[in-house]
Amino acid sequence: MSRRRKLEELFFTWMMRSALAIAAAVLFLILGVIFWRGVGTLSWEMVSQPPQGAFYLGGGGGVLNAIVGSLYLAAGSTLVAALLAVPVVLYLHGYLGNGRRASLVRLSLDIMWGIPSIVYGAFAFALMIFLGLRASLLAGIIALALVVLPILARTFDEVVTLAPKQLRETTFALGATRLEFLGILLRQTVPGLLTAVLLAFGRGIGDAASVLFTAGYTNDMPQSLLQPVASLPLAIFFQLGTPFPEVQARAYASALILTIIILGISLLAHLSLTRLGRNVIR
Amino acid sequence: MQTLAIRHLNVWYGQKQALKNINLNIPLHQITAIIGPSGCGKSTLLKCLNRLLDLNEQVRVEGQVLLDDLNIYDPRAEVTDIRTRIGLLAQKPFPLPLSIYENVAYGPRIHGRTNGNLPTIVQSRLEAVGLWDEVQDRLKAPATDLSVGQQQRLCLARTLAVEPEILLCDESTASLDPISARGIEELLATLRGKYTIIMVTHDIDQARRLADHVAFMWLGELVEDGPASPFFAHPQKELTQAYLAREIG
Repeated sequence: MSRRRKLEELFFTWMMRSALAIAAAVLFLILGVIFWRGVGTLSWEMVSQPPQGAFYLGGGGGVLNAIVGSLYLAAGSTLVAALLAVPVVLYLHGYLGNGRRASLVRLSLDIMWGIPSIVYGAFAFALMIFLGLRASLLAGIIALALVVLPILARTFDEVVTLAPKQLRETTFALGATRLEFLGILLRQTVPGLLTAVLLAFGRGIGDAASVLFTAGYTNDMPQSLLQPVASLPLAIFFQLGTPFPEVQARAYASALILTIIILGISLLAHLSLTRLGRNVIR
Repeated sequence: MQTLAIRHLNVWYGQKQALKNINLNIPLHQITAIIGPSGCGKSTLLKCLNRLLDLNEQVRVEGQVLLDDLNIYDPRAEVTDIRTRIGLLAQKPFPLPLSIYENVAYGPRIHGRTNGNLPTIVQSRLEAVGLWDEVQDRLKAPATDLSVGQQQRLCLARTLAVEPEILLCDESTASLDPISARGIEELLATLRGKYTIIMVTHDIDQARRLADHVAFMWLGELVEDGPASPFFAHPQKELTQAYLAREIG
């Protein structure tokens, strides 16, 4: 090998390694900062109680209202989005094929993905005013469902696209209908669907802009679908916005809670993936 | 009772004509081998016979394929029924993403032919392909745990469980090791007499070993067909003679 090719190899290898190191460092820095600033304030009181009086001035209590509210918002919106995304994607693959209409559906979903979540929030807010509704868990779920629908649908769509082509031929050759083929396709892509669902859930639980006007905020625990709910991103926002260092520290503790929830869900998904994916054709 | 006859069959992929005016009678309960070089249209012809070609949007088919009195390309023909009566064993073994048991049970299940006795059906089909002894204590295991040769036998069991009258084999031993390939060949030989088998192969020796009837295709046309022994002993057309002598192809 010539000296020039050796140098090229060396240079680009180290460039790629540096890029990797920077990306990894950013991740660990974020986790580190949140952990370092939040872990001191994190207490049983914080995760087990809603705010008491004067919480944002340094009073007692915790962010249980926001934890439960965020779980409700993310779970509800992911469920609504999945109920729409799964039929959309299966219809795409079972009936529309790769024609113009299919590309149009994909393009629309990609555009939806690109729309900032504050726009969905504003849209849902306008809708609420028109319908005379007030900020509520239901409105938050609807706004958030719009945010995560394209994420869920396009991620699942990509997974289904990667399914072996022979699956279609094999299933139809056995005399299956299109619907029965879609059943088999779902069996093959369930692990990917779960990944898409978790991606959507992770995005949903972390989104602040879409729930700001729609879900509102409250110091109470979630009561019903038609009452406002608190959420962790907004809890972080409000606490970080105060001039009191001890309340700001609680914001970091809340961020740590949010991160732990997301990590826990990813771990759970990983474990269930091996079980769900045992029959999948690779 | 069933007969299969191909009448004036033409197939186009977009602008390119893949099959040119094919006329062929498939003898009942015998093995018919369709031979010819790669790209001669033999796989296309096979996939016409269970309308699997329909899955390709670019394809246009003209002519008739008569299953008894039914033209399978008649718009009123029910395509799922046709594929139930005409099964396929593909080139590459491809289990469904299900367990070993569920792979065989799938066909009877979707066609509602379980008669409340699915385990018996599954066992008898797995026995028919000589797989039962090897898998009976791990029926719930993923089908992909099996070796490639076992997978192809499983695929055969899965096809037979649908109770087809005709079996299409698309170079079904081409992706197997020699021992597994021989196993599938022997199985096909035992199925002769019960099923009408149409196999596509580029392996002339395999056709000699198995076929009762042979059809030779070249560039989308059917050159010559006939009973196996006269076909191999005294091919009529020069093209067939050259192909069998391995001078072309």
